[in-house]
Amino acid sequence: MEPSTSHDPERNSAFYAPLPDHPSSGRAPATRSRPLKGFVVILASVVFLLSLVALIINQRQEPLPTPNRAPSASPTSKPASFSEAEPRGVAEGVSAKSNPSLLNEVSFNWTNAMFSWQRSAYHFQPQKNWMNDPDGPLYHKGWYHLFYQYNPDSAIWGNITWGHAVSRDLIHWLYLPLAMVPDRWYDINGVWTGSATLLPDGQIVMLYTGSTNESVQVQNLAYPANLSDPLLLDWLKYPGNPVIFAPAGIETDEFRDPTTAWLGPDGTWRITIGSRFNDTIGTSLVYQTTNFTDYELLDGVLHAVPGTGMWECVDFYPVAINGSVGLDTSSLGPGIKHVLKASLDDTKVDHYALGTYDPATDKWTPDNPEEDVGIGLKVDYGRYYASKTFFDQVKQRRILWGWINETDTETADLKKGWASLQTIPRSVLYDNKTGTHLLQWPVEEVESLRLNSTVFEEVLVEAGSIVPLDIGAATQLDILAVFEIESLESNTTDEVSDCGDGAIDRSTFGPFGILVIADDSLSELTPVFFRPVNTSDGSLKTYFCADETRSSKATDVFKQVYGGKVPVLDDENYNMRVLVDHSIVESFAQGGRTVISSRIYPTEAIYGAARLFLFNNATGVNVKATLKIWEMNSAFIRPFPFEET
Amino acid sequence: MANMIRLVILQAVISFSFLPGSYSASNLIETTCKQTPFFDLCVSSLQSDPRSSSADVAGLAHIAADNVNVKATATLQQIKGLLEGATDPELQKALQGCVDKYNAIIQADIPVAIEAIVKGNPKFAVSSATDAANEAQSCEKGFANPPSSPISDSNKDVNQLSLVLQSIASLLL
Repeated sequence: MEPSTSHDPERNSAFYAPLPDHPSSGRAPATRSRPLKGFVVILASVVFLLSLVALIINQRQEPLPTPNRAPSASPTSKPASFSEAEPRGVAEGVSAKSNPSLLNEVSFNWTNAMFSWQRSAYHFQPQKNWMNDPDGPLYHKGWYHLFYQYNPDSAIWGNITWGHAVSRDLIHWLYLPLAMVPDRWYDINGVWTGSATLLPDGQIVMLYTGSTNESVQVQNLAYPANLSDPLLLDWLKYPGNPVIFAPAGIETDEFRDPTTAWLGPDGTWRITIGSRFNDTIGTSLVYQTTNFTDYELLDGVLHAVPGTGMWECVDFYPVAINGSVGLDTSSLGPGIKHVLKASLDDTKVDHYALGTYDPATDKWTPDNPEEDVGIGLKVDYGRYYASKTFFDQVKQRRILWGWINETDTETADLKKGWASLQTIPRSVLYDNKTGTHLLQWPVEEVESLRLNSTVFEEVLVEAGSIVPLDIGAATQLDILAVFEIESLESNTTDEVSDCGDGAIDRSTFGPFGILVIADDSLSELTPVFFRPVNTSDGSLKTYFCADETRSSKATDVFKQVYGGKVPVLDDENYNMRVLVDHSIVESFAQGGRTVISSRIYPTEAIYGAARLFLFNNATGVNVKATLKIWEMNSAFIRPFPFEET
Repeated sequence: MANMIRLVILQAVISFSFLPGSYSASNLIETTCKQTPFFDLCVSSLQSDPRSSSADVAGLAHIAADNVNVKATATLQQIKGLLEGATDPELQKALQGCVDKYNAIIQADIPVAIEAIVKGNPKFAVSSATDAANEAQSCEKGFANPPSSPISDSNKDVNQLSLVLQSIASLLL
């Protein structure tokens, strides 16, 4: 703080203020003390001035340089005293900091029927209580394993353990007992996220973050008690835990989520752990090990991106250029790119970037620095976080899990008794056609849930119209849809340049798509759509969007417009695949180049009242849609039938 | 002369006592509160807690969470008292809805927020604070008007304190 240098009348007048008790001629000072008296007066005045200056500095409120990082909770100045935060409503994602917009309506009365309907039929969720990040996914002796952050006591985050489930096919899951609980000083405050590494000799090592008795984040090692148990029921924690403490320069509460290890050309293993420098520079540290108990922090970092904040749940894996299969995490060589992915704590969004890994220096460089980790592509443009991949060594696939949490109120979650889902696992491939994107696609095993199908060929949907699709039950669906557009006339008025405010925003070439979980009267509907937009060079840029704004009449749920750009190549039509499963909708555009996960909580369009429609709200095109729609069976996710073995 | 010296020294002592310790503490509170939507409320509610004079931002977030808890607990008592004497079924319905919402704030949002702050996983504190603000607002909107809300001031306080908590927790992200 700089001392005030401005003219301050108070100070000046004080300087001239008459002093009380001015010494009169009562005591005649000795001649020798005169200079001393003058010195004292000057000293006293200086002290007096400085103290006044101190007082003044303290009282002033100077403008502060710290940028305002408050969430978008700026009050709309309503005369009433409540603050309503404007939801960001930005096409390209949502911030966890945004408040839902609570409209000026009476608060909604939920019924048990509405809550029960929200549970998914074929997406993984525990029977009850809270779940978050997927952990340590792996395949072992005939079973796919999923572990997950789980609160065994309540539908809210806390008391975090590792839940556990197994499946033959990534779809039909069976619940197992908890794999790990917080029972050591080094994880007593939470058995947090971690990853599995399968060693060539068949061993499985699990590295995970523990929150210690002093809330310090450390990395711990665990392994199966019995490798010959296909169910991997019991896990042991390495007695020498923790194996990694936060290094100097890293905060002890910014050091978590170790990755699967990969083998370097020197025969030693590496893992990477996300963190940040100076608050804003997201980064990932690299550790080297030969035995998974002793680690050496390597110099430098795998990569860092300014402005992205804390990197959680870092994931790092190879993909094959021009390949059609996934790669083992240790794969290296020509014809391979590496994906670096981070979950950004600041925005609660998962981002990825494609680039090149140099195993000699343990550094990764993005193909396009303008689309670097955290500032470019998103893994999923909807409500999605903490994703993690693993290599399925049996079917040679890179499989991606992602956590989808609730967007309703805590009151509702407590009443329902549960919170959160996982996506359907997706296989991940490099997109050869664009070279800039990954392709995510629901694993083929989900198709085993398909029941009857209905086909619609070349249905004409004129500009500004809606076409109902008669398919029977509409709450559990797998929809494949292809759209062709025919221009009517050119439009020169203002174009919405992205997802806009949703399907209600009309532009020349869009929006067009489908309305899921809609009721007959369209009082509730969730549009999933394309919006191609003219760009200044005459080409079309396309947005793919999911619009929750009218998904429910309830006023206390989060209703966002999600979406992002999707490359549509010249030889491609607009195609989407949408998995509808009660309160979760997963939407895939152009074979999975852009994906959006949505949570919706309708109150009318539930059970037998849910319908499916085609729509075209464009002003300047007709659309022809061809669809194949399957009703989806339940996955009957239930406890492992131990008594039947 | 001696009196003048005494006066100056007294003046200095008084002025300098505003430096440095309490100065930098109130500076952190002010810096932090400027990044919330309710500066005055933020400052007064933080300063009223003696821990605030030596707290870092995480500590201030913890205090903010405690402040929400105190006000929400008092409001819940208020609601329950009103419910006992309520005869109008619309009023009873609205008040009962508020009981549920305030239970969610007290039993879910605040414990999760505090745990998240203490354990260094602040995103859960941000989402819990957001929910608490919404629960209070939702409670207020449950009064169909008629009957009008008998707890508007309390709901407003909880809502605003929750938004203060949300903003402070966001600084930890």
